[in-house]
Amino acid sequence: MSQELLYWQALNRAMDHEMAADESVFTLGEDVGLYGGSYRVTEGLFAKYGEWRVRDTPISENSFTGLGVGAALVGMRPVVEIMTVNFILLALDSIINGAAKIPFMSGGQFKMPLVVRVPGGIARQLAAQHAQRLEHTLMNVPGLRIAVPATPQDAYWQLRQAIASDDPIIVLEHELLYFTKGQVDLVAEAPPMHRAAVRREGRDLTIVSYSRHAVLAQEAANELAEENIEAEVIDLRSLKPIDWDTCAKSLEKTHRLLVVEEDCRFAGAGAEIVATLTERCFYSLDAPAQRLAGLDIPTPYNGALEAATIPQIPDIVAAARELCRPTPETKAA
Amino acid sequence: MSQAITMPVLSDTMSNGRLVRWVKKSGDKIKKGDVIAEVETDKAVMEVEAFQDGYLSGPLAAEGTEAPVGQTIGYIADNLAEISSAAATAVQPGPNAGNGNAAAAPAVELSAVSPVLAASMAALRPSPRPGPPPSTLRTSAGPAAARMPVRNPALSALEAGPPNRVERASSLREAVARNMIASAATPSFRVTAQLPLAALTEAAKERQQSLTLLLARACALTIVAHPLFNAAYTPDGLARRDRIDVGIAVDSGDGLITPVLRDAAGRSWAALAQDWNSLRDKVKSRRLMPADYSGATFYLSDLGVFSVVYAFDSIIPLGASAILSVAASRRQGTFFTLTCDHRVVFGADAARFLETLGQQLQDPDKLLA
Repeated sequence: MSQELLYWQALNRAMDHEMAADESVFTLGEDVGLYGGSYRVTEGLFAKYGEWRVRDTPISENSFTGLGVGAALVGMRPVVEIMTVNFILLALDSIINGAAKIPFMSGGQFKMPLVVRVPGGIARQLAAQHAQRLEHTLMNVPGLRIAVPATPQDAYWQLRQAIASDDPIIVLEHELLYFTKGQVDLVAEAPPMHRAAVRREGRDLTIVSYSRHAVLAQEAANELAEENIEAEVIDLRSLKPIDWDTCAKSLEKTHRLLVVEEDCRFAGAGAEIVATLTERCFYSLDAPAQRLAGLDIPTPYNGALEAATIPQIPDIVAAARELCRPTPETKAA
Repeated sequence: MSQAITMPVLSDTMSNGRLVRWVKKSGDKIKKGDVIAEVETDKAVMEVEAFQDGYLSGPLAAEGTEAPVGQTIGYIADNLAEISSAAATAVQPGPNAGNGNAAAAPAVELSAVSPVLAASMAALRPSPRPGPPPSTLRTSAGPAAARMPVRNPALSALEAGPPNRVERASSLREAVARNMIASAATPSFRVTAQLPLAALTEAAKERQQSLTLLLARACALTIVAHPLFNAAYTPDGLARRDRIDVGIAVDSGDGLITPVLRDAAGRSWAALAQDWNSLRDKVKSRRLMPADYSGATFYLSDLGVFSVVYAFDSIIPLGASAILSVAASRRQGTFFTLTCDHRVVFGADAARFLETLGQQLQDPDKLLA
């Protein structure tokens, strides 16, 4: 039984469901209470569950994230909202030295059922300090798990799964996805949290992406189909761990890989994806794997320049077309 | 091994140089220190010397080529064998001519696409050789400039008039144009005085000395009494100089140049006269070095040789606070116009300066000391 929901509404339903089912679930962060969350994700929860379970905090990311770490240690299931990923930099000590390390250093005696919800990505003209993608920073931390839902359905499923999990999980939500619509089935059984999704079947190349750019990749694939290029689009859904099997299976079919990411190119998620898939699928590939990524510069404020720093649909189409063009080497072979 | 000869940096402000001519030909044996080429900089033609022994080797940049400093204009080879192979590459025709490096070619096409896509594609191709290949030297100024039409308001005004052709200005003329535009921002005022010049003119003739030099000396000694005229305005305050260097405007045939007479107040007349002769020789042979024409603290422009000039004024070059314009000598007195930077000196200062100058002009013996 599905219904059409906005991305933020799906997250709101997930929160509501988990809070109703389990009293140890609570949320805290800047403006999550009375105001209902910067992107309305906690709307109505303050009235329903009260100030003890929906806590407004001062502007003190490291402190309230640390509070979440401590609460998780004693058996609560906190959902910390960081207002934007740009502010997570202040909370990295709690996340990296606390949440990610304590289960390991205690030999598993302590669990860490902590969820950190983080709006991020490049929205519209928020300027360099408010238009970052920090997945590369978080991906490099052993002990964390990272979910990157691209659809309202995944947002609903993955937030619920994250809250139910005993490991520390970062949920990266894209600021431009909050007001996208999609069918959400509230009762269907969810696929595993970190399983990638093949959004579109194809034969000529595999486009691997995640978060908002997985949506753009599907639109690009539709345009490519008009040129008789059938792209298979994989939405990773999770950046840590990454579902390599789904990607490898696709490459054995298409033999060409294009990775599309909004994050900066250098040492970003795409670098890891290309490196691992090249290691695994080298003999299946007919062409060098290619990355289409954000430029290695702080995001400009100017709208036209901002758009020029991240891959757009025409870029994806052009890169895919180029990747599928027969090269002298393939002709010879 | 052959070593690249690059466009040398011959002055602080030089960003481009024009290769006037090769003194040696490709294949000529050269010794370290030999003059191999002449290069025109902002204001002068200067010699390029060989930095090692060997043979001059192509591909050589064409004479008349303008190139940015640091760009390769030719090579010095260790032996003759290398020259023949270099010559072969230089004349090689074909689709790559003008591009030189095949690997770099797609980068040119990609400049039309989005930067994100360009970054993605560039990573798939081998890195191009650092620096442009010498074979692009000839084309870099031409087609590149033609590809980018620059809409200059002056040009559209020209279009309304009769047919015209644009001739490239000399480096000297371009340098003057740049400096004059920079100077236009100086808030200036003019004070004109009529001063007797007959005594000085007579003394110059009698003792066969340069009247211009005598005037420069008179200016310098006047500045000693009015040191504010040796200062220059900077946003941080007034730059006070402890030596008076007078720049003297000279008509070089192809524009204006200002050789500088150093320490015009502190040195003897004999030393100054010797300096002035050498500077004038350098102007004639276009061998004036940047050190010879930059850094004046005060300027003098003397149009006295043109008897028709009744009075005129000048533009204050950057780095000075005033310039004195001297018109043709007249029985009733010659017109001296002092153009001043109002940020440094004021009207009364200028009046006092001209008063003192008038006294200096009456005392040739003191000037000739």
